[in-house]
Amino acid sequence: MTAPGEEQQVSSGFVRSYVITGGRGLPDAEDLSLVTLVTLAPDRQPPPNPSPEVKAIWELCSGGYLSVAEVAGHLGLPVGVARLLLQDLNQQGHLLRRKAPPPAQLVDRKILEEVLHGLQVRFG
Amino acid sequence: MTFPQGPVIWALVVVALVAVGAVLRARATNVKLRRHHAELRQERDALLHQRDELHVVHNGLLQRQSTELAEVRKDAEEETKAVLKAAVRTLQGLADEQQVVIEKAQRKYGDDPGILADLMAMDHANSQFGRRAQGIAVLCGGWLGRRETVASVFDVARSAQGRIRHFDRVRVNGQVNFSVVSRAVEPVAVVLAELLANATNYSAPGTPVEINIQAVPTGVCLIVDDAGLGMGQEEKDRAAALLSPQAAISVSSLGIPPQFGFAVSGMLAARYGFRVSVDSVSPYGGVRAVVLIPDELLTTEAPPAAAPAEAPEAAVSPAPQVRQADQWQAPAPAPTPLFPPTPQPDTATQPLAQITTTAGGLPKRRRKSPVSAVPSAEPQPVRSNEETASRLGAFQRGTRSGRDTTTTEGPEFQ
Repeated sequence: MTAPGEEQQVSSGFVRSYVITGGRGLPDAEDLSLVTLVTLAPDRQPPPNPSPEVKAIWELCSGGYLSVAEVAGHLGLPVGVARLLLQDLNQQGHLLRRKAPPPAQLVDRKILEEVLHGLQVRFG
Repeated sequence: MTFPQGPVIWALVVVALVAVGAVLRARATNVKLRRHHAELRQERDALLHQRDELHVVHNGLLQRQSTELAEVRKDAEEETKAVLKAAVRTLQGLADEQQVVIEKAQRKYGDDPGILADLMAMDHANSQFGRRAQGIAVLCGGWLGRRETVASVFDVARSAQGRIRHFDRVRVNGQVNFSVVSRAVEPVAVVLAELLANATNYSAPGTPVEINIQAVPTGVCLIVDDAGLGMGQEEKDRAAALLSPQAAISVSSLGIPPQFGFAVSGMLAARYGFRVSVDSVSPYGGVRAVVLIPDELLTTEAPPAAAPAEAPEAAVSPAPQVRQADQWQAPAPAPTPLFPPTPQPDTATQPLAQITTTAGGLPKRRRKSPVSAVPSAEPQPVRSNEETASRLGAFQRGTRSGRDTTTTEGPEFQ
């Protein structure tokens, strides 16, 4: 028998991601993109018996808007898993979502060209 | 008158002589037979004695043979176990390594649901593979592998859930404010996984299997209930014998295909000092298996909030153990983007991210009011009196969107 000191160390994660999702299908990336901002809706009570991940999301999102990518990063989970949990909370009405800064609609190509020319003239 | 008497007398004499002769002969025969008999008896006694001696020798030989046979068997078993243990140790290491690679890939490609789902399927198969390897290692007297940190009882249950095929039939109920000490984390998870595997394998597909976590005066109970057919008395006796092992279990006694769930559970429970029993009936009619973790293996220490091994940086460098220590000591030197393949547009917030880091070394963004965090999401009204300012803003957003090729969101929704 090997002595306890010889025991190898296990370095893989402990709770598997498919257990956290419960083996459910993952939502589309378009649904809650990486840069979508989420926060808790005002005056919501947390769901009964939340999983540790949901609890962590609740705490993370209670202070203000965070992007989906940031939520996933703080939880240490793949984005798809965080997205599913956020989608659950959203369907229960706990979340407010705000999409990422929209692509500007008033870009004038002419101005951009003028600026570019100006910069080229000035800085070579 | 003498005449007739003469022949009678002669005849009598002759008869008497014959009789005497016969008697003498019979006696001689008798004496001879007796002597023979005595000789035979003597011979028999000698043979009997010899037989007894042989018997003793035979018994001695038999005994020697059986002890030698047992010794040879034991040696063979030990050698088999040693070979298996060494081989399985490699497999255990590889399974763990593969798990780390899969985790890394899950975080790297987590944004794509299709790829993530495939990676999860790989992860699932690999977890089961790892559990099997761990089971064989335990039976061969090897070790499971050690975790660095404590884990909450709830997470131990969920980790066990992830190691079986039909994990989606398992429900974990109840949370307690206890954690399992680091050295007992893997053993309890493996035992619970074996019990769950039995529960799901010996109950109808689709029926739920429940884990109920309950604090009891002497520790914490993990109760596994299935809705199967239950076990007969014979099976229960066998299980009880395996769960409280008196001696080392022979690998060859586990049958083909080997059923080592109870054997593994019994050995681990004995080694680490917790209790496993399967002798009660679940409320659903199946088996109720109970793991009792005593107070000695529990702690009130909270598990680390975001497991450091799960932090994105953990996936980058190849030596996890060393790196973990580094993570705790020094915060990440530079705020590396969370998801390198998809550059984020909010470059404006990066300087802020340098200020604080989480325990896991992640840059922590300061919470801001939504107004300051993002530009207004409403369609830009064209203000003729502030045209210059508006156009400057448009220019900024335009260049930003030009750099960001992934922003394909539709209109705002809530």
